[in-house]
Amino acid sequence: MAETVNIQQSIQNPFGHLASKTRGDKVIWALVVLLALVSLLAVYSATGSLAYKNYKGNTEVYLFKQIAFIIVGIMVIYFAHLVNYTVYSKVAQIAFLLCIPLLVYTLFFGVRMNEGSRWIRLPLINMTMQTSDLAKLALFMYLARLMSKKQDVIKDFKKGFLPVMLPVAVTCLLIAPANLSTALLLGASCLMLLFIGRARTKHILITIGIAMIPIVFLVLSAVVRHSSGNEDTAVSTKSSGLFGRVETWISRVENFMYGSKAADNDEMYQVNQAKIAIAQGGVLGVGPGNSTTRDYLPQAYNDFIYAIIIEEYGLAGGAFIVFIYLVFLYRCIRIFKRCPYAFGAFLALGLSFTLAIQALANMAVTVNLFPVTGVTLPLVSMGGTSFIFTCLAIGIILSVARNVEKTEGNKEQPVVA
Amino acid sequence: MEVKRDILWRVYLSFLGMVVLSLLVLGKAFYIQRFQGEHWRSMSDSMHQKIQELDADRGTIYSEDGQMLSTSLPRFDIYMDFQADGLRDKGGKIFKENIDSFAISLAGYFGDKTTAQYKKELQAAYKSKNRYYSLRKKMTFEDYKAFRNFPLVKLGRNKSGVIVEENSKRISPFGLLANRTIGLSREHVASNGKLKKQNVGLEKAYDSLLTGQKGQRLVRYIAGGAVPVEGFQIEPENGKDIFTTLDVNIQDISQNALLRMMESSEAQYGTCIVMEVKTGKIKAIANLGRRPDGSYWEDDNYALRVTEPGSTIKLATLLAVLEKGSSTLNELVEVGSAGRMIVGNRNVNDAERSPKPILTVKECFAHSSNVGMSKLAYKAFANNPKEFKDYLHKYHLDVRSPVDLSNVPSPRLAPLDAKKGGQMNMLTMSFGYAINVSPLHTLTLYNAIANDGKMMKPYLVNSIQSNGIVVKQFEPVVLENSVCRPEVVKAARESMEAVVTEGTGKPAFKNMPFAVAGKTGTAHVWDKDIKYGHGVYQASFVGYFPADKPVYSCIVVIRTKPHAAAHYGGMLGAPVFREIATKLYATYVDQKPATMYTAKKDSSTYFYAGNTKNIKQVFGTFNMWYADSVQQASWASVYAGSNYQPVLRTNTVREKLMPNVKGMGLKDALCLLESMGLKVTISGKGKVANQSVAPGSALAKGVTVVLELS
Repeated sequence: MAETVNIQQSIQNPFGHLASKTRGDKVIWALVVLLALVSLLAVYSATGSLAYKNYKGNTEVYLFKQIAFIIVGIMVIYFAHLVNYTVYSKVAQIAFLLCIPLLVYTLFFGVRMNEGSRWIRLPLINMTMQTSDLAKLALFMYLARLMSKKQDVIKDFKKGFLPVMLPVAVTCLLIAPANLSTALLLGASCLMLLFIGRARTKHILITIGIAMIPIVFLVLSAVVRHSSGNEDTAVSTKSSGLFGRVETWISRVENFMYGSKAADNDEMYQVNQAKIAIAQGGVLGVGPGNSTTRDYLPQAYNDFIYAIIIEEYGLAGGAFIVFIYLVFLYRCIRIFKRCPYAFGAFLALGLSFTLAIQALANMAVTVNLFPVTGVTLPLVSMGGTSFIFTCLAIGIILSVARNVEKTEGNKEQPVVA
Repeated sequence: MEVKRDILWRVYLSFLGMVVLSLLVLGKAFYIQRFQGEHWRSMSDSMHQKIQELDADRGTIYSEDGQMLSTSLPRFDIYMDFQADGLRDKGGKIFKENIDSFAISLAGYFGDKTTAQYKKELQAAYKSKNRYYSLRKKMTFEDYKAFRNFPLVKLGRNKSGVIVEENSKRISPFGLLANRTIGLSREHVASNGKLKKQNVGLEKAYDSLLTGQKGQRLVRYIAGGAVPVEGFQIEPENGKDIFTTLDVNIQDISQNALLRMMESSEAQYGTCIVMEVKTGKIKAIANLGRRPDGSYWEDDNYALRVTEPGSTIKLATLLAVLEKGSSTLNELVEVGSAGRMIVGNRNVNDAERSPKPILTVKECFAHSSNVGMSKLAYKAFANNPKEFKDYLHKYHLDVRSPVDLSNVPSPRLAPLDAKKGGQMNMLTMSFGYAINVSPLHTLTLYNAIANDGKMMKPYLVNSIQSNGIVVKQFEPVVLENSVCRPEVVKAARESMEAVVTEGTGKPAFKNMPFAVAGKTGTAHVWDKDIKYGHGVYQASFVGYFPADKPVYSCIVVIRTKPHAAAHYGGMLGAPVFREIATKLYATYVDQKPATMYTAKKDSSTYFYAGNTKNIKQVFGTFNMWYADSVQQASWASVYAGSNYQPVLRTNTVREKLMPNVKGMGLKDALCLLESMGLKVTISGKGKVANQSVAPGSALAKGVTVVLELS
């Protein structure tokens, strides 16, 4: 088998040593590298105007930043996958419990970006971090732990479903005021995991029903506001604080439902620019670095990078990115199938599905299938803490894969020998 | 394994969901491209690309000797965008840090407001978040250069919010000089909201050439500003420069002479044209109109305005009758002593009483006898008044002047058909009424006589140049090779000289150092709002000089105030003409070429001249013996004495006398001559060999001395 070849190689070749230690799904490794390369190209192209603004046109600054992020990210993946995944079970619990006060802190004292307090500034490295990124990862891991433990009683509402659902609800509620879209996405991802984890469909539907109440309220507000014209906006924008975000949600929903009522509206502008980028791209795109929309599309390097990818590489390029994520998901399902332990299986499934969901949600926003949310395209959007957390998640998945291979390898070793 | 299988179908179902979602995403992208593509793409173009006009510089109008008469200077309007990112960044850090020094700079440089005032205004504008605060308008380039280095401003557009809008302003460096003829280039907003040009003069006549061609470029807006799209740029073609025939000096002389006369007589308006006889070049054209406050300004091109010329037209009558042969110059004409007479069916009055009852034809002209001239005309054309028109046509008096200006009015003539009172009109015309011609028409005819019968087209533009390259050169154009027979020209010139020597022009040209020829004219004005009863006259004098070898022709026309005491052409027009002629004669006509004064060949073997101190120093350095006869004089020359011993002799330099600079080095010669207020031009190299002004001759300041070095 390939592993044995690696071992033999590592004896002769000192560099092969690293290769031999690098275990896990080779395809996933390849996909990660592929996405990192795509991100390098797309980010370099899309940061043109940002570079102009901040570094007088020195676009290499962002290229090197991104390269640095990729290197750090791959290191994170590497070290994360070396850890035995069972360790993550305990880590998950601690991390989740740590996250709760962190989220509360963020909610009240976080750095405000785009009105919502989603960020905290990390001491020492002076980087802003979106607490929800950490919370998401912690929650998924914790969920995997809970589900694997409650697998026997999962069908029972009180004994199984509720204990699992509780941390989800708490996390979502804490994230929601600052970042409703992330909260909703997180909630949806978790419900999907619960569904996979054999929770009763009835329970899940009830949960959805409860969650829908505020959503319906939002939609109704949007309808009311749209029909009553602009007068309300003037009054309601005065409200601030936590509930100030409600305004943003309503207007986002309103924009999504009714289209460009206000053409100069920021979000409508983003969506329109994204559509322009997509329309410019055609089937094969305008070529790397030739995007024109990048100069007008806010967050072209971040939330809307998929639009730039379609513009430069066409529908074909866009489809390729989708394909990469689906292959990634499929490979993770394979890991799950081979994983003998429930925690590992749920860990691989939970993390991979949520990553794929995040990716597709981002793309759906870009093509205006969903209303604008603040989700990045995993591994492709310009680096930041979310990039590192994504890498951590992938590292954990690969750690599961490595353990699966190890157990399988142990079984097969006699056969080979 | 039951559990795992239960999970597996859920996983696959979820995976399927993801695949479906992926397909939806791609489908939507495809939909956007295929079915909405056009819409978005066109939106992209309209949002991000724009065609910008590139302004072409308007050409400059030059005088003949290359002085700028009208040119465009950039002017800068400064605005401030107080919402600029840089200003608002970090709670307005940049603004707060710089406002004091900025206000100090503004107040210090412009001085129109105090620092505190500036600061207050800027802060108010900052507070109101004005995005287009007008800071200062019409800044000159010099000011703008200083302004660019002010604090805040030098941080650049994005940080300071300073917006600079450049536009150009048309200026005439010589102010009033020929202002109306050079013209004005201005724009105003018409009632339909469009910019309309409202040009006059050469600016209008040559507008299309001066304007140039606007360029265009396609720009794409990006974060840092607008970037031109390659391959979509049409360079602007700058306007061409117009080199006129006008001479700033002649213009100045003419205008001042005219202005003085008009001010002293409080005339309504006046015009004066100076033309080069051989070419028809208009060297000067002054137009002065009285403004309500009593000052004068170039407010209309009176030189082109057609009016009843009065007696200056008599040249045409004289030429016609002589050409026809119905009269000769010495023929006697009875004009009576009453000052009026019935000629044909018309009562003719003389403006000035004739000195004697019987005059020769020449005297009729010289004394400007209306009776005499109309009698001559009657004799020649009574039976066929239309024939007179043929002559007028030959003199180009019935057609629009071909001068290269636009909106030149056409002359107007009363009908000369016998049936329509042609005879009466013809008689009236013979002394300058019932015909409307412009001063330029009249001058063109007089110029033709001065030019031995060859009529030249009057013109104002020598050449059109583009970046110093002549695009089009205008040569003198002959309108009529000979307007009449040579003997008629001779007779006419004789008559015009008689005007000055014995006729109506005699008082004005008393003691004239050189001969001039011309004709006075005094027309009683009947115009739109002016009736004879108002006592408004149009006094003119037209002629050429010097009479024997004409170089320039000139017309002066002054319209008097009502009931002015002095209203005769001889009293108003002639003195102006005299002043112009005298001044031009000295500078332009009587200019003898500089003759080289060659110093007599020196027999001594060597000769040096220079500063005494320097010479002595040289001798001292080389320990040479020399005979010193200089003592205290500062300039000296050295020549070989007996036994070739150097002798130092005083080089006498006296005030206002040309010194002897022969033998001097250029440095010494220049130092000496220029300290005396002389202008020096040099040729060759070495020591001064010859000087154009002989040593010891009297000097006036500003005289040019030519030095030959060898």
